[in-house]
Amino acid sequence: MKYAMLVLKNLTRNKRRTSLTVISIAVSLFVFSALVSLPTVADQVLADSASSTRIAVHNKAGLTYALPEAYRTRIAATPHVVAVMGESWFGGIYHEVTDAFPNLAVDPEAAPQLWSDWNISKPAFDQFEKLRTAALVGPGTMKRFNLHIGQQIMLRGTIYPINVTLKIVGTTGGKAPPNFLLFRRDYLEEAIGRPGIVSIYWVRADSSAAVPGVIANIDQQFANSSAETQSESEASFIGSFMDNYRAFFTMAEVLGIIVVLSIGLVAANTAAMSVRERRAEIAVMRSMGFTPRLLVTLMVAESLIIALAGGLLGCASAYIVLKVFSSGSPAAGPLSAIRMPPVVLGETLAAASLIGLLSALIPAQAAARRNIVEALRMVA
Amino acid sequence: MGESAAIELDNVTRIYKRDRFEIRALDGVTMSVPAGRFVAIMGPSGSGKTTILNLIAGIDRATSGHVSVGGEVVSRMTERELAGWRARHIGLVFQFYNLIPVLTAFENVELPLLLTPLKKSERFEHVEAALAVVGLADRMHHYPRQLSGGQEQRVAIARAIVTDPTIIVADEPTGDLDARSAEEILALLRDLNLQFRKTIVMVTHDQRAERFVESVYRLDKGVLAGVEPARPAAIDAAAAARSRVS
Repeated sequence: MKYAMLVLKNLTRNKRRTSLTVISIAVSLFVFSALVSLPTVADQVLADSASSTRIAVHNKAGLTYALPEAYRTRIAATPHVVAVMGESWFGGIYHEVTDAFPNLAVDPEAAPQLWSDWNISKPAFDQFEKLRTAALVGPGTMKRFNLHIGQQIMLRGTIYPINVTLKIVGTTGGKAPPNFLLFRRDYLEEAIGRPGIVSIYWVRADSSAAVPGVIANIDQQFANSSAETQSESEASFIGSFMDNYRAFFTMAEVLGIIVVLSIGLVAANTAAMSVRERRAEIAVMRSMGFTPRLLVTLMVAESLIIALAGGLLGCASAYIVLKVFSSGSPAAGPLSAIRMPPVVLGETLAAASLIGLLSALIPAQAAARRNIVEALRMVA
Repeated sequence: MGESAAIELDNVTRIYKRDRFEIRALDGVTMSVPAGRFVAIMGPSGSGKTTILNLIAGIDRATSGHVSVGGEVVSRMTERELAGWRARHIGLVFQFYNLIPVLTAFENVELPLLLTPLKKSERFEHVEAALAVVGLADRMHHYPRQLSGGQEQRVAIARAIVTDPTIIVADEPTGDLDARSAEEILALLRDLNLQFRKTIVMVTHDQRAERFVESVYRLDKGVLAGVEPARPAAIDAAAAARSRVS
């Protein structure tokens, strides 16, 4: 502790340089921590929404191809299946094109069993089953459009040339995506002339252990038909959406590392300059009896304090910015799930420590081991 | 005379290598400085004065020969042993003061004490006493930039004496000072020698120093050319002062 005064005094030796170094490290680690947090979006979305017993069944040719409504009975008869629900993508907008949000038509009777983890109240489910125009809305969408329960809204179709008028009977919660709007599929079917098609069947198995068997069984039933199915667990289904972002996430991580490396070099240059200016002082301290190891420790401690201050500042800024971004920007889609996990905080502070340690270590060692007489002669 | 030697150089040679050239800074120098003496090493530039001082202070190593200070053979110590030895036995004063600019006078003087096991309150007492000896107790919270050259050198002297070292070595301590400040610094060093019996070895070009020291060691081209007693007035004054102290 008796050397703390020395370290702190040296930190204030050139306040402008110290401040600029802290800020530059903070900015780079802000970028680093924000970019490294991006891949957590995928994990977060999965953790937030995936159930271990839910299965998505869709057309093997792709999500844009529908499945016949007649599949429902056959899927329901599959062993270990406890509920089946058809779902059709409506793709409506509220007022403007920019008001897009996920809105889906689902079979109401199976909803309580399929979405038991969505925290939908029993009265809301009851209303949903009774009222053909009923809608359940996620809290994000409710907040975004300032909606309230009991309100009647109209969605304009973008896929189908129809508008649907809906009455909000309840909200979703729990693991439900916060921006979803669900309404009844029979209402949609009627409005579009009963084509008898379904985008996806959601299936709940009686246990997670039964899921692989159910998947295999369903796909086997419809093999070689005109609409072959591809079934997958909910986690795998959502994960396939996230795959579109994987390259972006990897690029973001690489960029983050490049930013840290470049600021590490800048910090090393700054540390080298700072040490070079103090070579004579270091020689004087050695002549008093300070050992090279002690002097290196003191100089590295200075550098670590600067780097950690920058790291904490960068992390805190990134945390706040991501929090604001994720809470106030439903239009960001899956990216709105971004948040800074504790591991990123740890990684950022570790990166800051490495910057502090490595940038100062080499110049400090060189200066502390320099011949005392040679160093003193430079002053004379 | 019965005086024990504080410093002994035995056939010391120091050769520096500069690129392809070898420079013989000292060539077989043998000399001794009795304990409690205030001596000056004088000679023309390049005669090896500072080299001797560096060897005595343990910040340089002889190419051959032995350097003993306070009975310990400095030339045989490892770097680590030397660092500890310097902290205990040597107080260094430089021509350009070499104070740390971000530390106050108090903190500069406290610096060598950080290497000792003294508590904060004990360090405070030592620093206060050292600054009082050099007459700067009222300037302890001033930074070097707020002091004159003479005052800065006084702080440097306080820093050199604060650990109560065996030997004080001063390299051109008046080289960067005006005439009046130089006289004051020389008088201060003489007083330290007389009052505290400190062995002081000073390298200087300053002819005024001869009035303050007890002996002058003359160097020329790396060889000890002779040891001259200082002026009788200084010797008389020193003896008188010693008798007063004892």
